[in-house]
Amino acid sequence: MDYRDTAEEARFRSGLRSWLAASIPPGWEDVTDARERAAIDKRWQQALYRAGYMGMSWPPEYGGRGLSPVYDAILVEEMSLADAPPFSVNVNYLGRAMWTHGTEEQKRRFLPMILSGDAMWCQGFSEPEAGSDLGSLRTRAVLDGGEWVVNGRKLWTSRSPTADWCLLLARTEPDVAKHEGISCLLLSMDTPGVEARPVYLSNGEPATGEVYFDGARVPADQLLGARGDGWKIALTALAVERGPGDVGYISKYQRSLRELEALTRSGRSSADPELRRRLAAAYVRGEAMRLTYLEQLSSRAVGHPTGPEGSVAKLLWAEAEQTLNQVAMDLFGADSLTGREPRWLSQYLYSRASSVYGGTAQIQKNILARRVLRLPR
Amino acid sequence: VFALLTDEQQMLRAAAASVASDVAIRNPRDLESRDPELAWTRLAQAGLLDLRSGPDAMAPEASGVEVMIVAEELGAVLAPVPYLGPAVMATELLRLTGSLGAWSGGGTAKRVSVLLRADLSAIATYDAVDEALVFDSRGVDRVLCVSRADGHGELLCLDHAELEPLDSADPTRGIARIVEAGEPDAVAVPPGALDRWLAQSLVAVSADLIGTMRGALAGVVEYARTRVQFGVPIGSFQAVQHLCAEAHVAIQATRSLTQYAAWAVDELDAGPALLAARAAKANASRVARPVCETVMQVYGGIGQTWENISHFYLRRALLDRQLLGDEDAQFDAIADVRLA
Repeated sequence: MDYRDTAEEARFRSGLRSWLAASIPPGWEDVTDARERAAIDKRWQQALYRAGYMGMSWPPEYGGRGLSPVYDAILVEEMSLADAPPFSVNVNYLGRAMWTHGTEEQKRRFLPMILSGDAMWCQGFSEPEAGSDLGSLRTRAVLDGGEWVVNGRKLWTSRSPTADWCLLLARTEPDVAKHEGISCLLLSMDTPGVEARPVYLSNGEPATGEVYFDGARVPADQLLGARGDGWKIALTALAVERGPGDVGYISKYQRSLRELEALTRSGRSSADPELRRRLAAAYVRGEAMRLTYLEQLSSRAVGHPTGPEGSVAKLLWAEAEQTLNQVAMDLFGADSLTGREPRWLSQYLYSRASSVYGGTAQIQKNILARRVLRLPR
Repeated sequence: VFALLTDEQQMLRAAAASVASDVAIRNPRDLESRDPELAWTRLAQAGLLDLRSGPDAMAPEASGVEVMIVAEELGAVLAPVPYLGPAVMATELLRLTGSLGAWSGGGTAKRVSVLLRADLSAIATYDAVDEALVFDSRGVDRVLCVSRADGHGELLCLDHAELEPLDSADPTRGIARIVEAGEPDAVAVPPGALDRWLAQSLVAVSADLIGTMRGALAGVVEYARTRVQFGVPIGSFQAVQHLCAEAHVAIQATRSLTQYAAWAVDELDAGPALLAARAAKANASRVARPVCETVMQVYGGIGQTWENISHFYLRRALLDRQLLGDEDAQFDAIADVRLA
């Protein structure tokens, strides 16, 4: 057991740190236009790829470096500490779904493009009538003259308005049990009959999206896996590497906490004994999240990918994010409500989504109860 | 980074669990029928009482992680053994002050425990000996306290103290007060030693709490699988499932914090080691009471009876929660560091 970097990890970290300091595009955080931001994110991922920092733990035959998952974690951590633009968080689980289920030809065609940032992807899973009950999705794909014809609507499709490609779940076998009738298609967002629109969340930001499919045609060789494999593929994508560390949330949390602590130290906000305790509790929650993640990483490194136990990290994440933002609102008091601290109001409102996206807190508890605690159905 | 137990540590866990199962309290009658010294003897035979009190006081053979492992396994079965007081808190104080040989006869020849303030929140000072309490007092020969709370004074050893047992809320561990103290022996406390001691002690108490919560939850989850109402096991109801899942998350978070703090005991400077230990104890104390109360709730009516084991878990959790400071005490201390 050792919570410190090994010598190689430390070398990698320091090289990465210098590269980041020299390479982060200045002023990127001030860009508010969604398309402009998407362009910056794309160039940034391309730069990371050229510098050898993408796909640290991917198999070398598909453009990766074949290193331990610890290196992925160091990358995300240092990027967040350096205030770098995030790279698309779906790269790792899209990649995993692809190299687990794709044909050799699909892997050669799509994997380098996912990694290099040349094509940005979104994930067409949820629908208006298929949220927590994803298996009941209704978007249909019907084979017609060597092409799949897609009709339906996807919701909560983050980054869809700017994405180039979509990993799409659609019902291809209407007559079998609901989880067995789903297939997975790789669809270009340029396809005629595809329309993506932003969805504005409670803070007024276009943080996610929806996609309409009206007779969109997908070549038959862009079916991932076999007909009916969609549910299996979705589980692969959903189970892999979506912890708070994988998506860079832990460093973001620590930055927010440090900001609130500095504010309290400087006396700019009222810190009565109760708020001091709540800030200390927020520190403890952040540590719990960080340390849970380090254990998951270590398990992955010895070949035990996170299974249903990953729901613990998601629940800790949502609780930490939501209580931290409540503390922030209370620290700022009326200033967060009268337009003086708009960023914290926005962040607070967005924090309400953290117990919904990626599977609601209630679904996570169902998973833990049934699959970890083995309580009966 | 490698944040998992090593193979040897896994083996120690298995060994400790095996000893613990021999001395487990599975129902309240076990406490009355059991020879109170059995657990101590079994742990001594297995070498689990002197993990850190080998000949080289500056380089203990076992790390804080091994201490954590044993404490958790003992907590999980409500082992009625004075492990935390004598085998961890007193031994660590003696080791850090170089007085193991002089005051405990080396190893476990003399049973030594610690004197805590009346609110159990810290080691007691000698001037408050009248109100102070001996923790884990069962079979104790000698008691340790300090001359000053700030760590700059001396460690004092009270020999031949006359003890009067009190009604501990937790019948698996004894609490006593000192009737007659006598003149203490004294030895200097090296700089920083009291912080190091506190880090190790908080880790051990947190680990006992993890075990306590784990044991309590495992029992009621098993019960929920078999108890039938409305024609189905109560564990199939989402309301019951979510209570159990929340308890599981609380335990896992505490475990991650405690494992890091246990590693930090020997690997980090005293300041960061103590901060990590306080974070662990803060979380353990914060969640322990609701987790054990949840367990009583899921048992339903039977969980409210004397014969059901769950109130013994709750009682042990209540005492541990208070030991060396509850969550508010830890949060205040953490805030003092983070907001200084």
